[in-house]
Amino acid sequence: MKTPSIKAIKPLESIAEIWHADELAMSQGQVTPTGDAALNAQLPGGGWPVGALVEVLQAQSGHNDWRLLLPALCHAQAKTAGVLVLVGAPHTPFAPGLAGQGLDSGRLLCINTATPASRLWAAEQALRCKDVAAVLAWLPQAHADSLRRLQICAAEHQKLLFVMRPAKAQNESSPAVLRLITSNALDSDALLVHILKRRGPPLEQALSLVARPVRLAALLAVGGGEGGQIGVRARSTDSPTGVVASGNRDLTPICPSLPTASSAEVLTFPLERSDALDRVAAAA
Amino acid sequence: MHWIALQPLPEPPAADDGSAAGLVDALGALGWWALQFTPKVAQVAGVLVLEVSASERLFGGRRQLLAQILEKKRPVALANKARAATSLIAIARLQLPRAAPRQPDDLPLATLLAAREHLPTLARIGCNTWGDLRALPRGGVVRRFGADLLDALDRAYGLKPELYPWLTLPQVFEARLELQARVDNAPALMFGARRLLAQLQVWLQARQRGILALELGWELDARRQDASQGQLIVRTAEPTLDMGHVQRLLAENLARITLHAPALYLHLRSLETAALPGASASLLPDDVRMGDSLHHLLERLSARLGADQVLRAVPHADHRPERMQVWQPASSIASPAPNQFAAKSVANYANSTGASGQNGSQRSAKTAVKQLVKADALYPTWLLTQPLKLPVCDNMPQCAGEGGPLTLLAGPQRLEAGWWGTETTSPALRDYFLAHSGQMGLLWIYRERLGGQGGGEQKTDACADWYLHGLFA
Repeated sequence: MKTPSIKAIKPLESIAEIWHADELAMSQGQVTPTGDAALNAQLPGGGWPVGALVEVLQAQSGHNDWRLLLPALCHAQAKTAGVLVLVGAPHTPFAPGLAGQGLDSGRLLCINTATPASRLWAAEQALRCKDVAAVLAWLPQAHADSLRRLQICAAEHQKLLFVMRPAKAQNESSPAVLRLITSNALDSDALLVHILKRRGPPLEQALSLVARPVRLAALLAVGGGEGGQIGVRARSTDSPTGVVASGNRDLTPICPSLPTASSAEVLTFPLERSDALDRVAAAA
Repeated sequence: MHWIALQPLPEPPAADDGSAAGLVDALGALGWWALQFTPKVAQVAGVLVLEVSASERLFGGRRQLLAQILEKKRPVALANKARAATSLIAIARLQLPRAAPRQPDDLPLATLLAAREHLPTLARIGCNTWGDLRALPRGGVVRRFGADLLDALDRAYGLKPELYPWLTLPQVFEARLELQARVDNAPALMFGARRLLAQLQVWLQARQRGILALELGWELDARRQDASQGQLIVRTAEPTLDMGHVQRLLAENLARITLHAPALYLHLRSLETAALPGASASLLPDDVRMGDSLHHLLERLSARLGADQVLRAVPHADHRPERMQVWQPASSIASPAPNQFAAKSVANYANSTGASGQNGSQRSAKTAVKQLVKADALYPTWLLTQPLKLPVCDNMPQCAGEGGPLTLLAGPQRLEAGWWGTETTSPALRDYFLAHSGQMGLLWIYRERLGGQGGGEQKTDACADWYLHGLFA
């Protein structure tokens, strides 16, 4: 009788379901890249988990949603030809702006409903639809059991699900696989992301991202001193970091609409455009 | 000639889970189902007879055809089956136990429909089987019992052709159901509606069509109120055979209806149908995605939340940001369009460069596309439905609340549009700026250039109004 050799036994580390609590878990399912290398490196599997609930906590509803999630949403739309569903968005999405960053805004569905129960119902129905690529739900008053229901639904149908909740919910228990809290850096345009819960060791310091379109980032970097016509205070630290630039470069195949532009070209455009508009008005 | 007789069995006591609702008219549904095998289908006294000899070649022989009818394809309702060379023999065999005599001469006279009214007389003259009746002199039988009896006997023995009013599929589905008990609230009508929908499904399958619009109506107890009936029309965007979806739509709509008096009858009518395209199956299992389709989702959401709550953006050619997109009910737009905003902005750009006349002609279309998409990236991602007026202190706009002054980063981007509008819409004369606030992040604000609605006098920069219009989230 042949005995199994030692080599034939898989080392424990190579099994995806087993992870040491002091190491980052390996990918257990599909992930969608976040579009930012620094953030990718801190997430298990290197991206947003597909088929799991991702909870984004924020101090003010509607801030920083798009800059954090847009690259992943563009990627999901490109991959599955599905619709992006927003449930209970705090403001009106501006489709030309989103289209400029690579999102197919024709495939954007907005469900405006105020009551928490109908928001949960709508989110669940959207998750059950096969033509939906991702669901973004703003659920300020959701309880853990209703979130668990969404989590199970997302896992069953393998959908990208992001739930936005107020920052004060961070001490409540949550069935989310990944929990983040986002805030604005006080002195710059950077986005601070603190990972509260992940399959891996806790992360002490917050990640600083500047996920802006290249042109907008370049415009901000110059600080508007030349572009603006009125006196504007110079900004202290607002140059995009190297990490972020490489993160944006990750995205270029997905969002071909963001070619790197020289800053001179960037700055002349708003003036030239307003000039053109003035002429249109004057001629007519 | 080869006849099959089918008699639907009384349905078993209804299951409580509601998954399989019984049919309203099992005999009729069975007839529609049987029409796929032969055009010669008829109803005779609660029994369905079908003549299949003409279809044998099409289905690959009698054995194959019988296997299809009696075994493979599950009939829409449970039924007793019998077959014979003529329809009357088949009907007779249907009424007898399996171990009954096989020869027509031995069949009891009670199984012949035309002989039913004369049975006591026939029994008293010692005439009990078909053979006994046939042995009597024909002239005497006609004088005593009428020509019908002998006629039926001739048809049963194949001496005369059997002609029936053949069943056809109706063009419009219409079914009526008497409710077993008075129904006081509208959602409880769903139980009866489920049975009507099951019947509708058989009809749709037989016609190979999907339902687009249907009308569910109910008749109320007339003694209570003046309004004696009500109705509900349900439409779907794509033709469907999926009664589960129609059922959910009906349930959502019924939940909003109150009945003024108890309902007694229900009826269902098909208003609009369309040919159903066949669905292609996938070779690879991975391609099959779980879940229902987008238009099912849209209709369900619109039915419960209201059509104006489920929105999709449609681009609109205008320079004013608030008019660049029109949010329309998603269920009214046929299919998700590809990125229309990029295409639209290319057209806009061509216009603006043409008007400026500087170097518009030299630029190729390709650079125009590139330029414009870049311009789009400078737009905010959220737009405020109503621009928020900002407090002004020291000629500088302040953050709403106690946020302190805003830092202007870039601008102005001048916008002058809407001067051609009617009296109700004032022209938009704005300078857009990119501003930063410690709390709110990047903002898109504008300054009203000339007074705005405030009359003719020009405002200077010092007392201009500032508004928050968008957020770079």
